Parts: sequence; structure tokens; C-alpha cells
Amino acid sequence: MTESQENMIKQLSDAVLDMDEDLTEELSDTYIKNGYNAFEGISKGLADGMNRAGVMYEEEEYFIPELLVCSDAMYKGLDILKPHLQYSENDEKMKAVVGVVEGDTHDIGKNLFKIMLETQGFEVYDLGRDVPPIEFVEKAKEVNADVIGLSTLMTTTMDNMKVVIDILKEQNMKDNTIVMVGGGPISQSFADKIGADGYAPEASKSARIAKELVSKLKDSKLN
Amino acid sequence: MISDTMTPAQRARAKSNGEPIDRLPCNPNIGNGIARIAGYKISEFNSNSDALADAVIKSYKMFGMDGTRVFTDLFLIAEAMGAKVNKPEDNTADLEEPAIDDISKIDDLKVIDPYKDGRIPIHLRAMKKVKDEIGDEVSVTASVVGPFTNAFFLIGIEKMTKMLLKDPESVHKLCEISLKSCMKLTDAALEQGVGVTISEPLSSCTVISPKHFRNYSAPYLKRLIDYMKSKGVGNIVLHICGKTDPIWDDLVDMGVNVLSIDDIADLKLCADRVGDKMAVAGNVDPSAIMYAGTKEQVRKATLKSIKEGYMAKKGFIIMSGCSLPVEVPIENIQTMMDTVREVGWPVTDEKLEKLMAITKYE
Repeated sequence: MTESQENMIKQLSDAVLDMDEDLTEELSDTYIKNGYNAFEGISKGLADGMNRAGVMYEEEEYFIPELLVCSDAMYKGLDILKPHLQYSENDEKMKAVVGVVEGDTHDIGKNLFKIMLETQGFEVYDLGRDVPPIEFVEKAKEVNADVIGLSTLMTTTMDNMKVVIDILKEQNMKDNTIVMVGGGPISQSFADKIGADGYAPEASKSARIAKELVSKLKDSKLN
Repeated sequence: MISDTMTPAQRARAKSNGEPIDRLPCNPNIGNGIARIAGYKISEFNSNSDALADAVIKSYKMFGMDGTRVFTDLFLIAEAMGAKVNKPEDNTADLEEPAIDDISKIDDLKVIDPYKDGRIPIHLRAMKKVKDEIGDEVSVTASVVGPFTNAFFLIGIEKMTKMLLKDPESVHKLCEISLKSCMKLTDAALEQGVGVTISEPLSSCTVISPKHFRNYSAPYLKRLIDYMKSKGVGNIVLHICGKTDPIWDDLVDMGVNVLSIDDIADLKLCADRVGDKMAVAGNVDPSAIMYAGTKEQVRKATLKSIKEGYMAKKGFIIMSGCSLPVEVPIENIQTMMDTVREVGWPVTDEKLEKLMAITKYE
């Protein structure tokens, strides 16, 4: 990455953090005009700004209104960068079902994860917000999904992730379905504890892990 | 089972005269669960004042809690100002559409006529009925949603949230008209002979910064409180959900007499820090304990709250952190009341520790 690209990415991140929608829009335009990589602009710029806003929220520097306006800025930038993403092509498209678990209506993290999965060559079925556990499983069965992605921002709804995994086990689907969990209160140890297959603090990394895990699973079946 | 030897009214009077009481005051804060207790569908409360009154009265008769409230949801005033409210047949109402979709339409908003608009007339009739029937024994109140929270329902929660950062002037305009409607509901409730309590959930520091609270909510809340006091309301009771410790002192300064705090707020800290300036009510977890807990867990949590709060000099009321979920087990509400009776009077640390060491239900 060139120094000027790195510099712009930093500015994108700052503009989101500073709740500056107009600047984010302007910077995203310039970024694309300079021919820089859209994926990096999103994951290291826009999403990074949003992650930093999340940290400020935890530190009680930012509150819900500030987070909302940060996310508006991020979406303004996404609208510009997203059409320039390069999608990896697969012969057989991998499939993912994503959603925010029941009880939570915050979907910034889920939306980012969805975009990042798409760049990794996934066909993504988005169930939206406040999704009951059984619906994840039913949709996964219907489309024969490789991955289920569960997101939440709230500690009170984390347990619903385990419910999804339990239903998958009951229906003998767990061995063929990768479960990714993410969101504010989620950690690697929580993921391990409930038996999720993957977790990453950032959506972009999480999407790459999802792809790796699916490839590994498919390889193991061939052998 | 131990029964009360005083009515809530006698207890409150004795307490304020510094005389002995039979037990600490306790109000489980049952919301629409009164429908389950009295055998109604929640939607009946939207059109049938007798059903609403009867459910409040039956709930009081069952538990003997220290305070009754004619309350169904937070959208009474907003609806009367033009918001659309989704009213499920047997669940709590929810905001469907705000009163206006753009701030340019603010002039369309009218201050309520409580005797004509929305479901308020139903509530007023219910208040009168409850007051007539049990008002000598127990306090009966109407719930007035705070002007700041109500303003969110007028323009929509997300729009209002962003306006806090982008359009301060319009926020003030909305709060101003919102306040006027809150005052009208206050007047009408007082005319029925009942008291008033304020619920201001969106003033929580879980949602907005203390700075935004001071800029946008506090001025109107203060005026509502002053108005209530000018109309003879002696005790200003306020509930704010979520985190509130950064604004406790503000609430004291604006004249709140009883603050009801959520389970995530630190009851001991609250009692220590501001308990000599206002009474504290709280804060058994309404969901993990009251809804999902066992009887013994309810008992222990109630004892723990008492231990944390009872030293508050201006008084302490055992309460749930927020309105109870509709489907809360009735036996858990009963257990909360029974535990307060078990503790009795006087309350001491030794007694609480002794009770804490015993398992009664498992």
C-alpha cells in the first residue's frame, strides 16, 4: 500500500469517527478516483472508524446518537466504495445465512459482515434483525448454507447464539454448517464456550475465516 | 405467611411521621401483567376503562403492594398528539408511526385535550374508579411520560436521536410542545383525584450523554416537576431506565423526591450518594430474576436490594428495576412481597444476613 493510500484510509476512518458524513462521502469519491482498492478502503477505513466509534461507546465518550451518526457516515462511504469491490469467483458459490439474533435490532456489524462475505465469493441470505433462532436453521436448511453468521450488540441476546447451535446439533446439521459469531460483547472465549466455529473482532477478518473454514470442511469431505 | 398490619397509606403516613412501620414499602411495578392477574386481554385496556380499573384493583388486592398505577404503555400522550400506535390483541402497545415524519410539519402538532384525545379518556375514567374504590388504602397514580421521551415518539426515535446532534433548535421546539401536553395530562389526572409519576426512559445515560440530558431533557423535566409541585403534588416520583449515576445530582437539584432506578444502576452507590436527598426505589432485575428466576432467586435478590438500599436516609422502596414483563410468574411477584414481609421491621444488617443464609424455597 502506498503512503498516500494509507493516509486516505486513515482519513476515512477519522471522518466516520468524527461523524462527518459529507467529508466521508468526499473522501470516498477521491479514494475511488485514485484507483485504490475498495476492500481495503472499507475494512481498514470505514469499518475501522466504526470500530473505533464502538470503543468510544464502551468508554462512554460516545452514546447512541453519536453511534447512529457515525454509522450514517459509514454507509455514505459504503455506497460509494461497494460497487468497486472485486468479488472472487468460485465455480460453486458458497452460501451464507446471516442475521442479528432475536432481541437485538442493531445491524451495523451484520451488514458489514454480509458485504465482506460477498467479496469472499459467498451468496448471502440476509434475515435482517431480531431473528428467532429457529429461522436461522430453517433458512440454512432451505438454501443448503455453508455458513450461518450470528450477530449481536447486546449481552442480553448472546444466549440466543447458543440456542441456534443447539438446534443445529439436534437436527444433525452442525457438522456441515460453519457457525460464525460476532458483535460487541462477543469474544473468542464466548465463541469457544458455545461451540461456534469462528469468531473475529472485525467483519473483514471474520469473512476470511468463514471462507477458510468452509474450504477446510469441503476438503475434509473429499478426503 | 406473614400478613401486613398496616395499609400502604397507614404505612406511608407512619413513615413520614417517623413512627414505626410493619415493613418496608414494596412495589413490584407490575405493568400489563395486571391483565394476566385479572383475566383480561391487554387490548381490553384500550377501550374499556372498567377492565383497566378492575385489573389494577385486583392486582392490589392480590399483592397489597405500596402503590398502584394506571398504566399500559408509554405512548398515551404521543398517540393523543397524532402518533399511530400498534395495539396487539394481548401484548403491550408499540409505536407504529410517529405523529409527524418531518420536522417541517411541527406546526401540525397540537397540545392534547386529555378529555377527548386518544385513549386518555379511558385512562382518566379508570383512574377515577380505582381512586374511588381503593384510594383510601393505597396511593393511586397516573403515569406521565417525560417531555423528552415523548418528543422521540412525536418525530420518530431515530430521527430525534440524530437531531440531538444536528438540529438542536428543533429538538427544543418538540420538547416544548411535548411538555405542554404532559402538563395537560397532569392536570387531568389530578382532577381525577390521583397522583402522578414520571417515566423518562430515554433520558437514560445508556442512550444519551449526560451533556445531552442537561441540554435537552433537564430543562423540560424541571418545568414539569415545578408545574406538578405548583399543583400540589408533594412527592415527585421519577423512573429512568438503564444507567443514571452521572445525572443523580441533577435529579436531586431539579426536585425529584423519589427516584426509581434500573437493575443495572448501583443501588448501594445511589443510596450512599443521594439517599439523604431523595428516596430511592429499586432495583430487582425484572427480567433475569423476576421473569426467569426461581422463587429463591427472587427472595435472595430482594434481600440483596434491601441490604443495599435500606440505609437511604430519605427512605427506600423495594421495587423492580423496571416494569415487569407481562408473562412474569405471579408466584415471583408474590415472593417479592413475602420477602419484604419476612424482613419486617426494624431492618438490620444482622437480620438480613441471617435471612440471606437461609434457603426457604428450594
